[in-house]
Amino acid sequence: MRIRDLLYETFTAIRANRVRSLLTILGIVIGIAAVITMTALIDGIKTSLVGQLGLNQSRLVYISCYPGTRQVSMDDLKQLELNVPDYEFVSAVSYSSGKVTNGTKSLDTAQLVGCDENYFTAVGSKLTSGRLLTAGECTGGAMSVVIDQQVVDKLWGSSDTDVVGQSIRINNDSYTVVGVIEASSFNGQMLYLPYPTLTTRVSGVASIDQIVGYAREDADMSTIADKTKTFLVKYYGISKEDQDYSVSVTTMKSIVDELDTTMASFQLLMTTVAGVSLVVGGIGIMNMMLTNVTERIREIGLRKALGARSSDITRQFLLESVTLCIVGGIFGILLGYGGAWALAGLASGVAGIGQIVPVISPTAVGMATGICVVIGMIFGYGPARRAAKLDPVESLRYQ
Amino acid sequence: MATPVIEVENVFRIYETEAGFTPALRGVSLTVERGEFLAIMGPSGSGKSTLMNILGCLDSPTTGTYRLEGLEVSSLSDDDLAVIRATRLGFVFQSFNLLPRTSVLRNVMLPLIYSDVPVAEREPRAFKALRSVDLPEELYEHSSNELSGGQMQRVAIARALVNDPSLILADEPTGNLDSATGEMVMKTFRHMQRQGKTIVLITHGAEVAAWADRIVYIRDGRLMSAEEERAFEARLAEREATLQRGAIA
Repeated sequence: MRIRDLLYETFTAIRANRVRSLLTILGIVIGIAAVITMTALIDGIKTSLVGQLGLNQSRLVYISCYPGTRQVSMDDLKQLELNVPDYEFVSAVSYSSGKVTNGTKSLDTAQLVGCDENYFTAVGSKLTSGRLLTAGECTGGAMSVVIDQQVVDKLWGSSDTDVVGQSIRINNDSYTVVGVIEASSFNGQMLYLPYPTLTTRVSGVASIDQIVGYAREDADMSTIADKTKTFLVKYYGISKEDQDYSVSVTTMKSIVDELDTTMASFQLLMTTVAGVSLVVGGIGIMNMMLTNVTERIREIGLRKALGARSSDITRQFLLESVTLCIVGGIFGILLGYGGAWALAGLASGVAGIGQIVPVISPTAVGMATGICVVIGMIFGYGPARRAAKLDPVESLRYQ
Repeated sequence: MATPVIEVENVFRIYETEAGFTPALRGVSLTVERGEFLAIMGPSGSGKSTLMNILGCLDSPTTGTYRLEGLEVSSLSDDDLAVIRATRLGFVFQSFNLLPRTSVLRNVMLPLIYSDVPVAEREPRAFKALRSVDLPEELYEHSSNELSGGQMQRVAIARALVNDPSLILADEPTGNLDSATGEMVMKTFRHMQRQGKTIVLITHGAEVAAWADRIVYIRDGRLMSAEEERAFEARLAEREATLQRGAIA
């Protein structure tokens, strides 16, 4: 029997039972759709995160340190730079919030960041107009401010306005806007002031809330994180019990790792859903194929009388169940990507991490198709063998 | 002399059932020459279907030999028997056994997919077979279930002819047809024979059997000549009469 003949028989048989076939493959459709939605979404989230974080930030290290006995000082930062030479620089950051206004509109609780000129390099800020803070401004405590695009939108109502050189008020002081940067993917509405300006004019406390480190180009991020933690624990004499919440060192790598861990539970859930519905779907296919064989006993007998070998019959019914599963798989893939797009729209709106674009990976499509073929084989084999083993004489007499 | 199409020697077919062993054929011997039109007549339960299945390579004898065109087939494997059926035999059934919702042409071409005939050759062969059974050409693309009984059976005969078999086996081909249509179908068989086909027909009707060149009778798994059959029937009639007299008295 030629492949062409087999295909013809298969499509004729499936077409003859269109409605039943469609209903039967539903389990497969749902199972595959779950797999595809999951992979497309997870890959999409990863891609969009990695894309937004940019290459610069892969060298970024966030260090939070609460020694308990005293405040972190600028001298401590120098010691860190000396003892962990893998850093190109480390820079102190202080956070605060305040009321910001440009005279017409205002933001009641804007995020204020006190930093130095290096900070922008470390976090990979993208300048859209004007300039960043200079070293002179940062040491001298100038009344200059860099704002992000979202602040521009809020205060001026339009992102097209040229705001460089304009003045705004933070609490009771007037500042000059020197530059505008793109809003960060995670938290927008930020204003960046020289570190001394923030600590003296706004918060009144010379605290270092976070240390931002920028690794040398060839530094290994895991090593640098370990070294930093070890140094700080020793430097401040932090006890073993306290070290995990007193010192936290986060690199982009650890964020991505963390993301993978979070995704893994989601992945497990979806895999379970997919697995259950694929098995149920497979049993459905098997059930339909058994019905099919029973309904077509006479036809099978006739085919055997006309010269079909048992293997011809096996192949015919096996191909039928595999084809059903593949058709289910195709619908599942389409539905899965549809679902991924819908969920991506939803997730983008909620998390505010920018547009997630579901990723159509050939691996996922190949894997889904492979699963379908295997399910079709496993659940179709029994019915197909049953058909092949039928005695032609008895089958022809079957009413 | 040419090899006979069928040479059956002392064939027994014994079925194993819960009740024990049931012999359906008890020492059947039969020779059919090329071009012969033979009718096997017998009542139901006589073993004629069993004989038909063995002749059609759908079943194998328990003992005895069956040579089809000189080829010993009684010991072949199932797959080899399938090849024999695909290439050397044509079946015509009482209930036509056409695939429903499938065109006449597709039905006739069905055996060709199992004998590996190249796709390009299939349609010409199906057309030739359909022409030889006199089916109007406008019906070729019709679905088989749109045809009348007589047309269906002629499609079935075309299907039996399409692989150019050595032997055509027909099991009560007129059983589901009215007598006028049945006669037309029998004429088709006659026509086949004149073209050199060997035909074995199984029936319990004497009028149908009369179309054949030769008739053999089967009773209780044994073949009988016409004389033996007449003697048997006479004995049966006598016993019937005796029984009736007994019942009246």
